[in-house]
Amino acid sequence: MTAESPKTVSRFEHDLLVILRYLFGNMANRQAVPLILAHQQAPPCLSRNCVELVKDTLKKGLILFLTRAGGWQTDRFLSQGEPVAGRIWDRVPLDYRQLTFSSNPLSFLIWLTSEKLTTPSERWSAQTPFTEADRLFFWLVFDRLRTEPDLLDPLRAMSVFSSNPYCWLFNPRDFVLNPETVTAPDFDELFQGSHPAFLECLQTLLTCHWIASERRKSMRIDWSTMKNQGLGEIALFTRFLPAAEKAGRTDLARFLLRALSTIIRYDATSADFWIRSLSPNQSLRLSERISIQQNALSLPQQAETFARWDRQSRTVGYFDEGYAASQLWKEEFESCEGALISARSKEFLQQLEPLRT
Amino acid sequence: MSRAYRISVKETVTRKITGSDEISTRLELLEILTPEAMGELLRRELEARGFKDQTDGSMARTDGDARVVVDPCNGQVTVKAEVDREVTEQGTRETAAWDDIGPKRHEVEQRIREQIQKELSQKIDRQQEKLQQKATEKLERELDELQPELSEIVNKVTREALKQKAAQMGTIQEIAEDPQTGSMTIKVEV
Repeated sequence: MTAESPKTVSRFEHDLLVILRYLFGNMANRQAVPLILAHQQAPPCLSRNCVELVKDTLKKGLILFLTRAGGWQTDRFLSQGEPVAGRIWDRVPLDYRQLTFSSNPLSFLIWLTSEKLTTPSERWSAQTPFTEADRLFFWLVFDRLRTEPDLLDPLRAMSVFSSNPYCWLFNPRDFVLNPETVTAPDFDELFQGSHPAFLECLQTLLTCHWIASERRKSMRIDWSTMKNQGLGEIALFTRFLPAAEKAGRTDLARFLLRALSTIIRYDATSADFWIRSLSPNQSLRLSERISIQQNALSLPQQAETFARWDRQSRTVGYFDEGYAASQLWKEEFESCEGALISARSKEFLQQLEPLRT
Repeated sequence: MSRAYRISVKETVTRKITGSDEISTRLELLEILTPEAMGELLRRELEARGFKDQTDGSMARTDGDARVVVDPCNGQVTVKAEVDREVTEQGTRETAAWDDIGPKRHEVEQRIREQIQKELSQKIDRQQEKLQQKATEKLERELDELQPELSEIVNKVTREALKQKAAQMGTIQEIAEDPQTGSMTIKVEV
C-alpha cells in the first residue's frame, strides 16, 4: 500500500487554504491573520488540487463543527410536528441535513486572501444566492474574525454578514451601526430546508453564548455599548421569536429560555444585576437612561412570550392535532422553572419602571 | 505704499435654547370594576388633586417647569420637564489688515465674523447642554415628589372601587380602614 503524495498548490492557494483552516480552528491566529491583513495578487484561476482541497475542508470542517457543537448529543426536537429523540443523524432525515455550497464561499476566500481586509481595493459581493451551508460558513467566518483588532468594522459593514441570521443570533450588537435604524434580517429562512437541523446542533452553543453575554452585561460600564446591545437584541427577538412561532418550531428558541433560566436562577437577584456597572452619566437624559436600562433586560422581556407559548400548549387537548408537539414546549418550560422565571422577570422589569405605584 | 490698519469686529448671537426630558409609565390599577368605571374614579381623584381636563381626554397639571399628563382611560402617565431660556453671547475680535478699504477689508471682516459666530455658537451649545441637565434634574426631583402622590391616587381609587364592588354584591354593613397599614375590611350582607 502506498501513501498518496501531498497535493501541490501555488503560494496563493497555500495561503487561501491556511485561512480556510484557520476559520475552522485548525490554524493559529499568527499564521492566518497576517495573510488576511496583507494584499497579494490573485491568480486568474485556482488549480484543481486547490479547489478539491477547499471542497474537502469545507464539507469536513462544517460537519465536524456541527457534530462537536451539539449534533452528537442525544436530544429531543420536533420533526414534522412530532418530538423525535436521538442524535442529529437519528432525528433528521438525510434530505434535511445536507450541506450544499454555492460558489460564494470560494470566491469570498479568494477575495479574503488577495485583498487587505481593512482597506480592500474592491468590495466583495455574492455572485449567486446563498445556500443554507453558505450562511453557516459565513457566520463561522464572522465569528472567527470579529475578535481580531480592526476587523470587526469592515466585516459588519458587509451585507453578507449583516443580513446573515446566524450572525444576528450570536452577536446582534455588532450590527447596530445606526441606533435609529436597527433592523434584523428575515428569520423565516432559518426554519426551512437544512437550517432547522443546523439550529438544533447549535442549541448548546447558543445557550452558553447567551448566558455569557448576559453575564458580560453585568460588567458593562459604557452606556453607548449597552444601548447598542439592547437595541440589537430587541431587534433580533422581535423577528426571531415570531418566526419560530409561525414555523411551529418554538423548540428552536429554547436556548433563550434556558439562558434566561440559568441567569435568573443562579445570577440575578434584581434588575440591578444587568445594569449595576454602568458608570454614572449626567449627560444622558433620564428618558434615555431608563430606555437603555430597560433594553438591557431584553432577555427577561421575552419571558412573557415563553409563558404565552406555555399557556397555548396547555390548551391543546390530548386528542387534538399537535398535542405531542405542544407538550415539548410545556416540558421545556417546566424543566426551566418557567413560571418562576416569568414571575421574576416581570418583577425585575417593574423595578425599572420610573414611577412604581 | 501699504499701511497696516486695525479691524475690529463685534458680533452678537441670540438664541432661544430649550432643555427637555420626559418619561412615560402606566399606573397599575387593578381591574376591580369595568375599565370605564375605573377610569371615572381615577378622573375624579385627579380632578380633586388639581388636574385639568384636556381636549384629548387626558388630564394635566403643571408644577413649575414640569407637566404631568395622565390618561384616565388607560392609566398612562407622562411627566415632562422643560426649561427654556433666551441667551445672548457677545464676542469682539481685532486684527490687522494691510488695506482699510475695498474687497480685502470685507474678506477679513467676513472671516473674523464667521470665526466669532462659530465660537459663540459653541458657547451656546455648552449652555444648551447645561440646560438639558437642568431639565433632567428637574424631572428627577419631580418624579421623587410625584411617586408617593401617584401611589396614594392608586390606593384611593382601588379603595373606592372595592367599596363600589362590595355595594354591587350586597348591602355594606361595615367598612373598617386602617390608615397605618392601608388595609380595609368591608362586611357585606349578600
